Amino acid sequence: MLKLLDGPQTLGRGKIFWSCFLAVLAGALIYPLFADSYDVGNFAYFLIWIFMALGLCLMWGYGGMLSFGQTFFFGIAGYGYGVLAINMGGGTATIAALVLSVIIAMIAAGILGYFMIWGGISGIFFGIVTLSATLVLAFFLGQTAGPEWHIGPARLNGFNGMKGMDPLTVGSFDIEGAALYYLMIALIVIVYVALRMLVNSSIGNVIVATRENPQRAEMLGYDVRKYQLLTFVIGSGLAGLSGALYTSWGQFITPSSIGLPAAAMPIVWVAFSGRNDLTATLVGSFLLLFGFQTITVYSQQAALVLMGVLLLATVMLAPQGFVLGIGKLVVDWWTRRRRRDEAPALADASRLQSDET
Amino acid sequence: MSAELFSLFYQFADVFAFLILSAAGLAIVFGMMGVINMAHGEFIMCGAYVTVGLVNLGVPLPIAQILAALTAGIIGMIVELLIVRRFYKRPLDSLLATWGLSLIVTQSMLLIVGSAVRGIGTPEGSFAIGGYTFSTYRLVLFGCAVAVLAGLYIIFMKTRFGVIARATMQNAAMAKALGARTGRIYSISFGIGTALAGLCGALYAPTMTLIPTMGATFVVESFVTVVIGGANVLLGTAPAAVFLAMIRMALNASYGQIIGQIGMLFAVILIIRVLPEGLSSVLVRRGR
Amino acid sequence: MALVDVKGVSKRFGGLTAVSDVDLTVSAGEVHCLIGPNGAGKSTLFKLIVGLYPPTTGSIFFDSVDITAERPYARVQRGMSIKMQAPSVFKELPVRQNIQIALQERLSGAECRTEEERLLALLNLAEDSGKLAGALSHGQQQWLEIGMALALQPQLLLLDEPTAGMSPEETYKTGELIKSFNAEGMTVLVVEHDMAFVRQVAQRITVLHLGKIFARGSLDAILEDEKVAEIYLGKTHAH
Repeated sequence: MLKLLDGPQTLGRGKIFWSCFLAVLAGALIYPLFADSYDVGNFAYFLIWIFMALGLCLMWGYGGMLSFGQTFFFGIAGYGYGVLAINMGGGTATIAALVLSVIIAMIAAGILGYFMIWGGISGIFFGIVTLSATLVLAFFLGQTAGPEWHIGPARLNGFNGMKGMDPLTVGSFDIEGAALYYLMIALIVIVYVALRMLVNSSIGNVIVATRENPQRAEMLGYDVRKYQLLTFVIGSGLAGLSGALYTSWGQFITPSSIGLPAAAMPIVWVAFSGRNDLTATLVGSFLLLFGFQTITVYSQQAALVLMGVLLLATVMLAPQGFVLGIGKLVVDWWTRRRRRDEAPALADASRLQSDET
Repeated sequence: MSAELFSLFYQFADVFAFLILSAAGLAIVFGMMGVINMAHGEFIMCGAYVTVGLVNLGVPLPIAQILAALTAGIIGMIVELLIVRRFYKRPLDSLLATWGLSLIVTQSMLLIVGSAVRGIGTPEGSFAIGGYTFSTYRLVLFGCAVAVLAGLYIIFMKTRFGVIARATMQNAAMAKALGARTGRIYSISFGIGTALAGLCGALYAPTMTLIPTMGATFVVESFVTVVIGGANVLLGTAPAAVFLAMIRMALNASYGQIIGQIGMLFAVILIIRVLPEGLSSVLVRRGR
Repeated sequence: MALVDVKGVSKRFGGLTAVSDVDLTVSAGEVHCLIGPNGAGKSTLFKLIVGLYPPTTGSIFFDSVDITAERPYARVQRGMSIKMQAPSVFKELPVRQNIQIALQERLSGAECRTEEERLLALLNLAEDSGKLAGALSHGQQQWLEIGMALALQPQLLLLDEPTAGMSPEETYKTGELIKSFNAEGMTVLVVEHDMAFVRQVAQRITVLHLGKIFARGSLDAILEDEKVAEIYLGKTHAH
C-alpha cells in the first residue's frame, strides 16, 4: 500500500521530498505553541478550503472533468451541517452532522454526476452545467429570508445566512482554536496521502487514462462512466467537507459562499497552482489563500481583481500552473547543477552516487 | 377567453424574450468558435451601464440602447484580439481566461462605481385587454427578440459574410485555404456576440436595478439555453428557448420565479441525459 | 465455429449508407482479412463490431451471444480488443503506463511487471518505455497500440490498418507477430491495404465494396478473382 505514495501520477518523491514534507508537517504541528490564538484560528480558516482545492485537482487535473460546482457541494454540506447540527441538538451529535452532511453532498454529486456523465456531457458543458446548478442554488438560498423557509428549528434566513449551529463538539469540549487547527492538519494529511495513493493505484491509472483518451480506455474494457462518476463524487465530497468545516468554524453560512465570485475561487487556486499535481495544488492554494486573506483586510474587491488577474495570467503565460511550473524549474535546476558538479570532480562522483542509493 | 389566451401568450413572450436576448450572443460565439464567453454577463452589464449613462446625459432611450450595443460589440472585438484569439484551439482555457476577465471587470466596477447606480425606470405605457393590464415595454422586448432572430437569419443566411462565416464554422482550415480571412470572421462574430449581449443589457436596463454583478442574473438562462440548444442559434437556441419558456411560464405562474428557475434547471439536466446532443440533434438530423 | 457473426447489418449516416446489409462470419482460430477500396465501409464495420456505433439494422453475435445492444467496454470484457485506424494511445502518459493500464485488470504485482517487460521487449519499446507515448514515431505508436490490444489476451483481435506508417521490415515483423499469436489460438480480423501483408497473414478474405460484401473466400480464390482485381487490386497496382 505505501508503495502507492510515490508513482507516475504525483511529482515529488524520494527521500528529499518526504523529508521536506515531514519538516513542514513538524513546523505546522509546533506552530500553535508560538503563535497567538487569533493567528492559529486564521490558519485553520485557510486550511478549510484546501479540501475543496484538492477535490477539484482530482477531478480536473487527473480526471479531466472541469467542475465549476465546488461551491455547490460546499453549500449543500455547509447548510446541511447547519440544519443537522441545529436539529440534532449539538454536542457530540455535531460529529454525526459533519459526516452526514458530507454524505449528503456526495449523494447530490452522485445524482448530478449521473445525469451529466451518462448524458455524455464533457468539456466546456460540464463546467457550465455545474455552474448553472451552483448559481441556481445560490439564488434559491438568497430568497429564503421569510420565516416559512425553515427545516425544523433551523431558519435558512436568505442573504443574511444561517446561524446558531454548534461548532464541532466532543462531549462538552468544543473543537475550536488550536484543537480545530490540529483537526484540520490531521484531516489534510489523511486526505492528501489518501489521494496520492488513489491516483497512483490502478483506479488512478484508469482515471488519467479516461482524461487522456476516453475511447481508448473504454476499448480496454473499462466502463469509463463509472470511474468518472467515482472521481466526481470524491472530488465533490471533498468540497462538501470544506463546507461542513466552514460552517462549524464560523457557526454561520451565507449564500455568498456559493454564488459568484465564490464559485470561481477554487478554479483560480487550482489553475494557478497546477492542476496536474496534488502537491502543487496543496502548496499553491495555501499561498493564494494566505495572500487573498491579507489583501481582503484592506479591500475585498481588490483581492478579487487580483484573483481574476492571476487566472488570466495563468492561462496566458503558464497554462499548466505557476507553482507546478516553478517546482519543475527548481527540480531541473537542481538536477542540472548536480550533473555539473559531478562532471569536473570525477573522484567525487562515485561518492555522490553511493550517497544516492 | 381571448383575454386569457393573450395573457398566456404575454407571459410566454416575456420569458422567451429574456431567454433569447440573454442567450443569442453567447450562442453565436459558441457556435462559431466553440468558445463559451464567461464574461458574457459583463458585456450585458456594459450594455446596461452605457444605456443608463447616455440616457442620464439626455440621449433618447432607443438611441442610447443602440449605442450601448455597439460599444459592447467594439469592446468585444478588442477582447477577442487581445485574449480570446489565442485560445481557439484550447476551448477550456478560453473559458478560464474569460472568467478571469469577468472577475476583473465586475470587481473593478464595484471598486470604481460602487454598488448601485440610479436607474431610469421602465418606459411607461400599458394597455388593457379584458380585465388584464399589460406593459407595452415587455411586448417591445419580445419584438426585439424576434427581430434579433430574424436579423441573425439574414446575416448568416443571406449575406456574403454569412456564407463565409458558415463555411468557417464547418471547416476553418478549408475556408482559410479558399481565401477566407478566418481571423477577421472570428473577430466580427465575437463582436456580434458581445454586441447582442450589450443589446440585452441595454434593453433590460430600464427594468432593473443596475449593479456591477447584474450579469449573474442572466448567465444561468443563457447557459442552459445554449446547453440544450447546441451550436446552432437558429435551429438550436430558438427552439430551446421556446421549450424552456413553456416550462418556466408554467412554473412561474403557479410557484414563483425561483421555482421556475429550479424547474428549468432540472428540465435541462433531464434533457442532457435523454438527448446528449441537445435539442438541435432532433431538429437537424445530421449525419456523423 | 463462428466467433463473430454479423447478420444483416446496415449503417446509415444521414443520407449515406456506409454499410449495407452485410453478413460476415469469422470462425474461431482464423486470420481473416477484410479488404476493399477506400470508402468500402471497412472501418465502419469494425466500429459496429466493437460497438462504437449502433447499427441501423441487423444484429451482431459474439461467441453465439447477441451483443448488438452492448456497450463497447462490455464487448471488450467478453474477449475482443481493437487497434484503431489512427493511433489511439494515451499520449501524455509514459509508454510503460500505457501497457500497465491495459494489463492491470488481468494481472497484478510481479506477474504484471514480468508481462510488461515481455510485451515491451516484444514490441521493441523497452528502451523507450519511459518516454511519453505521444513522443513516439507514428509506427511505434501503432506497435504500442497493438501491444495494448494484445495485453488483454483477447479471443478476437481486431486490427484496423495495423501496418500504416511502417517500413517493409516492420510490416513483415508485424505479420509474423500476428501469425504467432494466431498459432496460440487467437482469432484475428484485419483491415489492410498492403497486399503483401495480406498475402503473408490471411487465411480467409472478405472483400467489401461500396458497403456491400463483394466476394469472400480463401486467399488463393480471391487473388485469382478477376472482378476483385478490377475493383480493388487494379487500383492498388495503379498506385
